[in-house]
Amino acid sequence: MTAPRRRVVSRSGRYVLELDPRERELIRQLLGELRELLALDSKDPRVRRLYPSAYADDAEKQDEYSRLTQDDLEQGRLANVDLVEASVDEASLDAEQLNAWMQAVNSLRLVLGTMLDINDDDQELSFDPEDPDARTQALYGYLGGLLDEIVDAQLETL
Amino acid sequence: MRSLGVVSAAPAEVQLPSTDDDVEADRPWIVIVWNDPINLMSYVVLVFQKLFGYNRAKATELMLDVHHKGRAVVSSGTREKAELDVFRLHEHGLWATMRQD
Repeated sequence: MTAPRRRVVSRSGRYVLELDPRERELIRQLLGELRELLALDSKDPRVRRLYPSAYADDAEKQDEYSRLTQDDLEQGRLANVDLVEASVDEASLDAEQLNAWMQAVNSLRLVLGTMLDINDDDQELSFDPEDPDARTQALYGYLGGLLDEIVDAQLETL
Repeated sequence: MRSLGVVSAAPAEVQLPSTDDDVEADRPWIVIVWNDPINLMSYVVLVFQKLFGYNRAKATELMLDVHHKGRAVVSSGTREKAELDVFRLHEHGLWATMRQD
């Protein structure tokens, strides 16, 4: 794979977004989908991955943990969606905004990866336009690339 | 010898009652991150650095343990601290659990 031009560039404490208007439109659309997914019950298989168990072998403590944290997890993710929506057309982001982008993109990847039943670190993602999962696979790949750049831009400044 | 025994015995008694429950409660909790096939390796390194203040080398070592051994202990402490750490890892989409060591 040749290195494409970088889309997230750290510069003087901010993060410049070199995103095509069509990418920004796609992200806006995906945020709408994420918002709908976050409205689902936490036990729904599509979003189950967003609410892991803290206590693997203590049902009582786990119930208490879920009760105490599920709303916060959901509200935090919705707040991230709001922050990204509000900044999706910006030329550059501050650290807080970029963090919201990172977490929103990662939430989407977790949901799409679960839908695709990704269960192997080295799973080959074949792309077949006829596959009913083609859109999901393409988005999963796209978001992985974007997330990698968002992460790298931050690692450079840590 | 002066009879200091009475004086010193009193405060010692207050601190003393040590039941099995206390010993149980004193054992630290550990936070474990499990390997998952979705989260990016670079993302996991960044999250470890941001949440726990680890340097790049330590965060990378922990990420590689998760990747190769299937899991790594990333923090430990009281139950409250461990639960907060697990919650922050869950906020970031990492697969974390906790248990008493």
